[in-house]
Amino acid sequence: MTTTTIAPSRRRLPVWGTVLAAALVVELMVFSLTNTHFFGGGAGMLSQIELFLPTGIVALGLAPVILTGAIDLSVGATASLSSVLVGVLILHHVNPVLAIGIALAVSTIIGLVNGLIITLFGIDSLLVTLATQFIASSLAVSVAGDNPPFGFPDMFLALGEGTVGPVPIALLIFLVIAALVMLLIGRTGFGRRIVLIGYNPSAARFTGVRVMRTFVGVFTMSGLVAGIAGIVLAAYFNAGRSDSGMSLLLPAITCVVLGGVDIFGGRGRIGEVVLAVLVLGYLTQGLLNSGVSSLTATMVTGLLLIVALVVKIAFERRSGESFLGTLRRRFAARTGGSPGVGRGAKGGSEKAAAEPRDPAHS
Amino acid sequence: MERPRPVPVSADADTTARTYSARNVSKAFSGVPVLEGIDLAFRPGEIHTLVGENGAGKSTLLKIMSGVYSADSGSLELEGEALGPLSPATAQRRGIYLVPQEPRLMPDLSIAENLYLGSLPRGRFGFTVNWKMINNSAGDVLSRVGLSVDPRSLAGRLPLAHQQLLECARALAHGCTIIFFDEPTSPLTSHEAETLFSVMDDLRRQQMTLGFISHRFDEVEELSDRISVMRDGAVVAHHLRGESDRASIINAMVGRELTMAKRKTRPERSGAPILDVRHVVSKPEVEDISIQVRAGEIVGLGGLVGSGRTELSEAVFGLRPSSAGVVTVDGVDVTGRAPQDCIDAGLIYLGEDRGRNGIFADVDLTRNASASVIGRLPRKGRLIRKRQEETMTQGALQNAGVKAANMGLPIKSLSGGNQQKVLLARWMMAQPKVAIFDEPTRGVDVGAKEGIYEMIESLTDDGLATLVISSELDELVRLCDRVYAVYEGRVVGELRGDAITSDAVGQLAVGAA
Amino acid sequence: MTTPNVTSFSSIAFGRSVREFIGRRDVQLVPIMLVIAIVSAIASPDFLSSRVISSIFITAMVTTFVALGQTVVMLTKGIDLSVAPILGLAAVIVGFQAQDHGMPLWLGLLVGAGVGAVLGAGNAVLVSLLGLPPIIATLGTFSVYGGLQFIITGGSQVNQVPAEYTNLGVATNTIIPGVPMLLVVGVFATVCVGLLLRYTVYGRNVYATGDDFEAAFRAGIPTRRVIFIAYVLCGLLSGIAGVVYLARTGSADALTGTQTNENLNAIAAALIGGAALTGGRGNAAGALLGSIFLALTVSAMGIAAHIPDEWQPAGIGVLILLAVIADPRARQGGTLKGLFTGRRRRRR
Repeated sequence: MTTTTIAPSRRRLPVWGTVLAAALVVELMVFSLTNTHFFGGGAGMLSQIELFLPTGIVALGLAPVILTGAIDLSVGATASLSSVLVGVLILHHVNPVLAIGIALAVSTIIGLVNGLIITLFGIDSLLVTLATQFIASSLAVSVAGDNPPFGFPDMFLALGEGTVGPVPIALLIFLVIAALVMLLIGRTGFGRRIVLIGYNPSAARFTGVRVMRTFVGVFTMSGLVAGIAGIVLAAYFNAGRSDSGMSLLLPAITCVVLGGVDIFGGRGRIGEVVLAVLVLGYLTQGLLNSGVSSLTATMVTGLLLIVALVVKIAFERRSGESFLGTLRRRFAARTGGSPGVGRGAKGGSEKAAAEPRDPAHS
Repeated sequence: MERPRPVPVSADADTTARTYSARNVSKAFSGVPVLEGIDLAFRPGEIHTLVGENGAGKSTLLKIMSGVYSADSGSLELEGEALGPLSPATAQRRGIYLVPQEPRLMPDLSIAENLYLGSLPRGRFGFTVNWKMINNSAGDVLSRVGLSVDPRSLAGRLPLAHQQLLECARALAHGCTIIFFDEPTSPLTSHEAETLFSVMDDLRRQQMTLGFISHRFDEVEELSDRISVMRDGAVVAHHLRGESDRASIINAMVGRELTMAKRKTRPERSGAPILDVRHVVSKPEVEDISIQVRAGEIVGLGGLVGSGRTELSEAVFGLRPSSAGVVTVDGVDVTGRAPQDCIDAGLIYLGEDRGRNGIFADVDLTRNASASVIGRLPRKGRLIRKRQEETMTQGALQNAGVKAANMGLPIKSLSGGNQQKVLLARWMMAQPKVAIFDEPTRGVDVGAKEGIYEMIESLTDDGLATLVISSELDELVRLCDRVYAVYEGRVVGELRGDAITSDAVGQLAVGAA
Repeated sequence: MTTPNVTSFSSIAFGRSVREFIGRRDVQLVPIMLVIAIVSAIASPDFLSSRVISSIFITAMVTTFVALGQTVVMLTKGIDLSVAPILGLAAVIVGFQAQDHGMPLWLGLLVGAGVGAVLGAGNAVLVSLLGLPPIIATLGTFSVYGGLQFIITGGSQVNQVPAEYTNLGVATNTIIPGVPMLLVVGVFATVCVGLLLRYTVYGRNVYATGDDFEAAFRAGIPTRRVIFIAYVLCGLLSGIAGVVYLARTGSADALTGTQTNENLNAIAAALIGGAALTGGRGNAAGALLGSIFLALTVSAMGIAAHIPDEWQPAGIGVLILLAVIADPRARQGGTLKGLFTGRRRRRR
């Protein structure tokens, strides 16, 4: 049998990540120049993102779900429940650590239940999490009662407002979770299975991946991470508000999609989601600081989501290769490097469009 | 007795008897040629059958002629007049219709609506459907194909055989006179197929132009006025009714016997079977099947599509439930276990549908190849060592003879043959004791087939127990030491050594022996 | 001439059509609703008063209009998550015109429908022309339209609409006891959408597109146009729902629609009425009955079972889950499609 050599894969600059990083730098410069409060000697800038961090944390839990091709609409309500729960428990003189533990356990169970309903009944995740979203939200309102809990001990508040040196603790929590999720997706068997299911669930099953188990795991994790977001939320606002989490859902999905994760699963990098969180977070905060109302800022978020998708899809349609592929090729051509390796003639990430033409199906 | 032809609802369809021909038609899929310079004419009043092995290009040709695919070069001529670019809808307007292998009906629409889909006749005001008209004329059309069902009931409730007839009725409802049938009988039982044949016979009497694809020789001989044999994207022989015998057709179909290497003779194995399948039942396709495979032998599973071969493998590998039976792999009971447990026990299954169930099209070669052994990848702590993983898979791919520029390429950029080799490498990384290869050379170009055969042989020589499923008779002849023939969910015969000939396997596979 | 084997079905055709009728979700809902109403009436005799029944119908009507639109979109295998702010925008725009300039009701309905159609066309462009996944596209327009609503109100709210509007929406304006005027309007709209879906070429093309996009396209159906119109229709109906909301409450502000979870209500009503995310299934009557079912259940929870208001969303959530679990064809769709059926054979 003839043996031919196959070269190792080449490490390439993640183009979308570069674009996001550039956007972040430009954004920070513009806001620092137009608004003197914004920069605040560096440390001030770090704390500007605090308000947005719960959203970012939710996005980190949501990204693996979307990588499998599913969606979890219940994360916002789960965060609300967690924030109310931890608040009520602390005000009832439960040890804060124990309170946090209980809140996280409940959030994890919500995620687990989502995963079990989705896999056991085989129902679309959109419907299941739409329903559990409102069940969790009712629970949150009911736990909060007539007087939502507020006024927590300083030790707990540090989670939302405290700093280690110039770095806010909440930012540290975000970065630690980001690093863990990044390793999980990139370097563990669980993460590999998530990605493969996202690309082709049927092939994953034929290759021996335990698809149901992976789904349950992903939704459970999403619940846990949403719970953490809820605790940071409670610490930041110094109150457990039953409506606080719901507003996280849309910007969190926007972060994941803006971070280049394919809504149909498979493609995406956690690092780029982290960058997208920072871009969107500073944009929102910058707009708010410039006197724009919060609903207008949300509107910008929605526009950004649509524009990002339109641009991506338009590029993919036209050239039959991915947007990133196009950028990479153009970038390479300009700098005189060798162009990105040619994809097949049909190429294209439009799985569905390419499929009927595949000879294997004819 | 001539049956009156009902007035077609779409008035623009041409209903006169016509000859429809392909002129020098060529087509390639991702660089692999599928059709090369086809010239073929379908004439009115004739059933013109295309026979050939899987991948010979029959289906692709009919799809091009009915507008599903477009040809890379060449032209289509209707009564000598060249047709422009064709879509399924425009083909339909020219009176050309393809009855697909599996009916594609709208289950939530009524039967009558399915008949007139895409050209629903409008009522007085121009935007409503003329229900009276379609329900009445639907009854006429349905009776022409022997269906007496209420045209207002939902199409999704029809049994499969009737759905197939409904597809045929669709062609008539649109006034089509050129009708192609792409293996219409493969999902049907022989009794159900009879109904379809009498309908086809009826249409022939009405001077329609009929094209037909089938793998069942009995029906081919019974129905055809003209038979064209295709091989590797070309028409290699023509036969008229009554002037050909089955042997010469099969000869023309396989034809490659000269170029194909001879089967290697391996010593007969007598040890305990590594794969032992006993009385497995998985309804509706698998009735009761028992097979044994020993280390170092290649066993074939021959039979028609739908005979239960693939369904058996999926039941054995834990992909579909089985209601009875026992499966052991090297003494370990894996009955009803998940695919991952089967892999751990030493059983692997290379599925037949590579695009859907095999490759992760957009994923690089490394992760495609290591997908079967995610749990066993080299790790540092709990984290996968990616460099080592790449080196490991690189070695496996090179051993399998994969030709690719680098490991980072998405697998979809490779040719069919190379994709299949990547999948073979994927499964060999799991170090199996038993391998089931389902259609191992489907969609693989001729040049690469021999490489895959040699690889399967060398693995078997190293002690693998190998089960090969194939619709290509000469593939079984080329590879196997033993062949089980499966017909309608049961093993109907077993052949050994030199008794394995395409003729013998073919006879068993159609239930003739 | 050979005579094809004729299989006779005519004898059982009648039995089958009866079974098809009973198998319809919208038909099944009626006895369930009667049971809920009777049980509630036993628990709390108040429940059968004209006022309670009338207000259940009036609450349901806002949802009915949105659910009608959502059903059309779901039939094409899509979803529209932006219906709540479309409702809200129509409500504030018409509300301000009526409050400040005395816009008559008939013109208000037209303007509401127009506003909705324009916003729906925005969704249609994104989904049908640009090919974005409906869930993301409409999630995006959800916040864009929500922001627009906020900008238009500029912090103020509508709270004094002409009596012409509120008269339509009060529970006491009944034609016979328990049947409010508004119900007549809702039934009329349902009949219109029902006729559109059942008897027009466009309606049948909607079902075909949702059943099997590829096959519909191959059969020559203008699938893109079908989907485009579906989103415009959905917007139009949601816009009318905004005016109905105005009539019912007499007020509108920056959070109208989103705050009362009209998205959830509409999707729940459509699902309960028999629509499915997998496309091709559902009808207008289902949307109407689904929303009445929803309003009835929520009000039974409150009046008869004394369940606190905050559990209403949870009740709706549970109803969604039950509606989907009870529908064998909705299962194993979507994300998990193909996992359980390795073969390509279509489910029959």
